[in-house]
Amino acid sequence: MALPLPVPVTGLKSVLKEVVRTRTGVVGFSMLGVLLGLVLVVPFVAPFDVAGEWGDRQVWLDNPRDAAPEWSEWFAGKQLARTQILTPCNAPGPIPLSNATGSEPCPGGGWKKLVRRTTIFGDYVFITMERKFQFTADVFPSELSLAVWADFGSAAPLLTVEWKRPDNVNLTLLQVAPDQRVPTPNFYPLSTDTRPCCTIRELIKNWAITNFSANAQNVTLIRPEVTLFAQGGRDMLDFRRAVVLKGEYTLKIELAVGAVELGVDAKAVVYGTVFGVAGTDSSRRDLLIGLLWGAPVALAFGAVAAVVIVLLQTILGALATWYGGWWDEVVQRAADTLLILPLLPILLLIAIIYSPSIWLLLLVLIGFGFVGSTSKVARSIVLQVKEEAYIEVAVSYGASRARILFKHILPRLLPYTFALIALSVPSFIFLEASLSFLGLGDPLLPTWGSILGQAYTGNAAFRGFWWWITFPAAGIVFATVAFALLGYSFDKVLNPRLREQ
Amino acid sequence: MGFLRYLTKKGIFLIVTLVFALYLTVVIANFGGYVDEILRAQARFDAIRSCNQDLACSQLDPASKNATIEGNYKSFVEARGLNQDFVSKSFRFTWDLMNFRLGRALELRDVEGGDQVSSIIFERLPRTIILFTSSSLIAAGMGIWLGLRMARRALSAFDRGLTVVSITTTVVPPWVFGILFILLFAFLFPIFPAGGMVSVPAKTDPLEYTLDMIYHMTLPAIALILSAFGSWSYTTRNLVLQILDEDYIYAARARGLPEKTILRRYVLRSASPPTVTSLALTVIASWQGAIITETVFAWPGLGRLFFEAIGSLDAPVVIGLTAIYAYLLVLTVFILDLVYGLLDPRVKALRRG
Repeated sequence: MALPLPVPVTGLKSVLKEVVRTRTGVVGFSMLGVLLGLVLVVPFVAPFDVAGEWGDRQVWLDNPRDAAPEWSEWFAGKQLARTQILTPCNAPGPIPLSNATGSEPCPGGGWKKLVRRTTIFGDYVFITMERKFQFTADVFPSELSLAVWADFGSAAPLLTVEWKRPDNVNLTLLQVAPDQRVPTPNFYPLSTDTRPCCTIRELIKNWAITNFSANAQNVTLIRPEVTLFAQGGRDMLDFRRAVVLKGEYTLKIELAVGAVELGVDAKAVVYGTVFGVAGTDSSRRDLLIGLLWGAPVALAFGAVAAVVIVLLQTILGALATWYGGWWDEVVQRAADTLLILPLLPILLLIAIIYSPSIWLLLLVLIGFGFVGSTSKVARSIVLQVKEEAYIEVAVSYGASRARILFKHILPRLLPYTFALIALSVPSFIFLEASLSFLGLGDPLLPTWGSILGQAYTGNAAFRGFWWWITFPAAGIVFATVAFALLGYSFDKVLNPRLREQ
Repeated sequence: MGFLRYLTKKGIFLIVTLVFALYLTVVIANFGGYVDEILRAQARFDAIRSCNQDLACSQLDPASKNATIEGNYKSFVEARGLNQDFVSKSFRFTWDLMNFRLGRALELRDVEGGDQVSSIIFERLPRTIILFTSSSLIAAGMGIWLGLRMARRALSAFDRGLTVVSITTTVVPPWVFGILFILLFAFLFPIFPAGGMVSVPAKTDPLEYTLDMIYHMTLPAIALILSAFGSWSYTTRNLVLQILDEDYIYAARARGLPEKTILRRYVLRSASPPTVTSLALTVIASWQGAIITETVFAWPGLGRLFFEAIGSLDAPVVIGLTAIYAYLLVLTVFILDLVYGLLDPRVKALRRG
């Protein structure tokens, strides 16, 4: 089947016009537009000190670990648990010391705070903080944690934490003397408490057995966040079989000390199983932020590498071909050599011995890519253009060789350059992703590759954390497919035999 | 004779490239005296160990024992030329790399516990070659076959759809498919193993062992094929369409030859040499991509070794692997050149002449 041979399109403007007329061109351009829009919008929508905070564990403490996106609820067919943060009263401010009986305001949170001073059996101050919250999800929370700030004099106070359930079978979770003073919080990680004696797990087990005659046989791991929220009964210690008890829970904290002024504040987090739009990773980080900020990094690296390398290769290839002689030979052989070089291993070698910075690697990449396959393409086009009549005309009116090159030949190469840039951006995006995946990218910035790499080392695939894998992978694929489609439609316009007409 | 000359010319160029790549590896690795330091530390360790193993030496008093160790160490450093200037040293190291004298690993060990980098690498090499050669061949066969189909039904819905599929799957590297496949076919629908080369414990029967390996190879191979077939099919399609436009095809049609014969005898024959050259780069990229693909599938080949070496900062292994990759790429290009020479009628003509 012979195709008619249309007139080749040459000028950049007309090429672009043709590209926009193809369907793949439109799709490619609009995908690219979405990405660019994202890059421009991200700093305003998700303002975030990425380099400073992404790697900082403290920033993410209130997020659940390995949480699925919130909208996965639609497929789960049940209500999943959202994180509830019972915020402290004096969130950033100092804790007021009190010794007068009466209620105290709680500007930061919803706690009810009461102070009692009694002299019946000696001079004592009690501060009670009580907070009610609803738990209506169909699944258990993933973790529980409590932080208590205490301010006290020389005598150690006593901290009592009580757990009140909707079924009114209550339990005293903790009775300890807090050892840290304000501003250092006392952390009570209720879910992960592993102190050998009198652990919360043991306490909860005994409570469940006494009150509900729960079955503790064949139960190897008691999860406090399950049993505390479970319906009373035989199965409440077994996290696979326990059923959620919905309703209003109350957390009560009481601090007591003899005859000195006292201050207390508390924060509790009931960690959920879902979080945000894109879920979280094992370091509790909000993946949405990492994904959004991964776009500028990927695009910047891919675009800079592609533009610089393709332009360098085109210009060097054209120059060498135009001036010919041993220049041509040198560029050709250098291109052949650099193409066979094991570039990725060399980049890894550099990253491992010197510094894992993607911008250094970008420089190295350019250093090894100043000639290459694009110079060969440029060469073949220059050889073709050289023979055309208008070049002969230019020669005949006495234009210098340099003038002809820059005025008449390089502009002809421009559309091809665009196509080649579009076609080579994906490989550079993936190069960056590969390096980040191996942990040799920029350690401070979140990139799609590094998120995927952490998902791999965190065994996300075997643990079924699909959001941690699919979203960054989708981001990379989306960006690269955009450029691939663009490059393809350029190719179609520039190589008219392949045109669909 | 002409064919031999063609091959010799290509071979000489590739050997020069190989030496350049190895030299570059040495220069990069030893830029801050890194290799020197490793070698010195190993030499000192050797000197101390050989003294402790030697009855006479180990019973000397500490001062003369140290003097003996120091003397042995110094003589080794001189013998290996570690005290020479950078340029002559770099040539020596390059010569070592060319002869697979890759030194000793810092952390990694081969299956027998040995620490020779070359034995660690050569233990892994066949596994990588099995996986990548088989999937590259399948991808090439499948791609060429699809490309011919697409060209014959050019501009149909089949052609357009497959073209878009080809260009989009080509840009996605196999490890991205791999990590998604593991999620899908090893976790969600557990039909394939998530990684590894054989089951644990390994089968003893050779046939069962082979079948087990093929079973483990399926998922990585599909990922590799999916990411590689597109460039073959798209390139084949375009080349075939270009050739179908040539005058001699019209002539063949005019002679009334059946379409199948034209395709086989005229089109495929002239399309295959350029396909081979234009895809040399794809094959090279796939070798290098092995580093992550094998890591994702826990395939115990060279790429996985690279990942392990990075993880344990085992520089001698990384340097040795870079050298091996240089060898692999050069060899691949040489084989492709050979195939090209066999396919291209012009080179064939040289062979006859």
